[in-house]
Amino acid sequence: MTDLQDAAIEPEDLQLDNTDPETSGSPEPLDDEQQARLLRVLKVAYPHPSFPDGPYQRTSAAVQQADADGVLADGLDALGDLDGLDDDAVTAALKAVEETPFFRLIHSTTVVALYDDHEVWQILGYEGSSFEKGGYLHRGFDDLDWLPDPRIEEYDGEPRLELVEKEA
Amino acid sequence: MASIAHDDPVVVIIGSGAGGGTMAYELTRNGVPCVVLEAGRFLTPDDYENDEWAAFGQMAWLDMRTTSGTWRVAKDFPNLPAWIVKAVGGSTTHWSGATPRIMAHEFKARTTYGAVDGANLLDWPITLDDLAPWYDKAEQAIGSTHRHGRPALPANNNYKVFANGAERVGYKYYATGPYGTNAEPYDGRPASIQDGFNFQGDKNTSKWSTAVREIPRALKTGKLDLRPECHAVRITHDSTGKVDGVEYLDAAGSLHKQAARVVCVAGNSIESPRLLLMSASSLHPDGLANSSGQVGRNYMRHMTGSAYARFDQPVRMYRGETMAGIIADEAKHDPNRGFAGGYYMETLSLGPAFLASFIEPGEWGRSFTEKMDAFLNTAGMWIVGEDMPQESNRITLDDEVKDAHGLPVPHVHFDDHPNDVAMREHGYAAADAIYGAVGSTGVHHTPPYPSTHNLGTCRMSEKPEDGVVDKWGKAHDVPNLFVSDGSVMTTGAAANPTLTIVALAMRQADHILQEMSTGQL
Repeated sequence: MTDLQDAAIEPEDLQLDNTDPETSGSPEPLDDEQQARLLRVLKVAYPHPSFPDGPYQRTSAAVQQADADGVLADGLDALGDLDGLDDDAVTAALKAVEETPFFRLIHSTTVVALYDDHEVWQILGYEGSSFEKGGYLHRGFDDLDWLPDPRIEEYDGEPRLELVEKEA
Repeated sequence: MASIAHDDPVVVIIGSGAGGGTMAYELTRNGVPCVVLEAGRFLTPDDYENDEWAAFGQMAWLDMRTTSGTWRVAKDFPNLPAWIVKAVGGSTTHWSGATPRIMAHEFKARTTYGAVDGANLLDWPITLDDLAPWYDKAEQAIGSTHRHGRPALPANNNYKVFANGAERVGYKYYATGPYGTNAEPYDGRPASIQDGFNFQGDKNTSKWSTAVREIPRALKTGKLDLRPECHAVRITHDSTGKVDGVEYLDAAGSLHKQAARVVCVAGNSIESPRLLLMSASSLHPDGLANSSGQVGRNYMRHMTGSAYARFDQPVRMYRGETMAGIIADEAKHDPNRGFAGGYYMETLSLGPAFLASFIEPGEWGRSFTEKMDAFLNTAGMWIVGEDMPQESNRITLDDEVKDAHGLPVPHVHFDDHPNDVAMREHGYAAADAIYGAVGSTGVHHTPPYPSTHNLGTCRMSEKPEDGVVDKWGKAHDVPNLFVSDGSVMTTGAAANPTLTIVALAMRQADHILQEMSTGQL
């Protein structure tokens, strides 16, 4: 579980007032076949050759947890058997349902959960929290070496022209 | 901290951000007792988190809002029109730090630009010269780099790409500021440690905010009664038309009323007009101080866009001060470009967590994941410029959707003006040129985020029929009601607004002190 899943904050949730206990229902858990199909959908819709299974599995759990309206199982069933399909065919099948609540649930949850996963951060080259390490002041905030060091002061020549006349 | 009785009529300030926090300090340090009603919690730097979504969940204003209009935010983030903060310190907690001043001609937008179809342009009732002394004071309070002898911040990785590109395309007016974060210790706060988390509150306190400067100092005067988690819901007035109190809900949802001698509304440009509209009475049937019908109208959010450029080599844009890089060459009015007004380009970085949600909302598949895979080698910038005020871009009370307390939520309607669209396209092309000049292999044009710069919904005007407040930010219709935030801005100008909001609040505070000393308030 990532920190985010604990916080359970995502853009699609922002409209919820959290005052109505009716909105937090818990649909039936997915069966094994549905679980496998969801994992395939995630790997095809968000393909990263460098990602292992772990982040996708954690994202799958987050999607299932976010399925308050119970659209996930039916959406997966409607996709049918994906086993014989290549990735392009699965992509086409998803394209056909991308405006449905089923796919919106998957997308809105995945863009948050998958990319808030600390293993993913490491793979992408993001270092996360830095304050407790003294920031990057002595750890490479300016270590880019393939361009010259630019001027940091403001230009000291003629002042900037703020108002330009219209040409005839 | 002071403890002020509910029936003691004092200055009541609604909001503790750039406007409200500044007002509270300026008045209390001059001996004027104030109550500050802040809807959010009292977060301190120890509470801030170096984690994008955790910080967002901690401090973002997530109360229900609804949207309409042609802007893409209404589709992608229908209930998050604005990305602002609900906490003591308001949106200065997550502001980026760029502090350009508004230019002289931008105060005269209607005169300079002429009539623009569909735009409700108006000249400000003040000039740059009028505001200049307070700009000086605001830059001193904020500690802007490059100003008043303060040193520049060093170049971070994202800036190196940005500034080299700028130089190669012939731009001159680039620098690492002016920027409201200490390059060296200043004003009792330390120098930046370049931790890269200034949108999440700055744990190191090197970045100015009212949460680390004005509010703590105001509390030390013993004249401030700060009430966090207290959400103002109605301003009341007496039979003579003067405001006399503010009703608010506390954390438990209980209703209270604080008597008021003066009321300063500083709830940002969505909540401020919402509060005035919710304060309608028989004397003010269309909302408090709304005889002009302009309360909530002319909502501006700045023309914005972002460009994320990929390179063959590492950038690590996330290391260091997020927005310590500004190019000002395009911040000019040049009618030959085919649009009115100008824009700045400023360095910007998002971590993978935010980038995934905002770089191209709704996108999936390999085109999306390629952008994420390139994270390490990506440089980013924000484009921010003047947008056209339109009467129909406005905040209204939603007829159907109520908040947890049964009050109407604010509805935000926004249509892009053709001038905004033309400027954005120009900005994207400029970004392509800058990054292309230093070897970018591709630049993605990211659409505007939920609004961080919310402006104009209670605008200043010379004539009462044209706007809501006068040149001091005082309501045209009510002698002791002030608006003290960015909603007073007559037009948006190109500059990031925080410096101007602080300068206007300081100027307004001086005016209020003057009026109090002469018995007029």
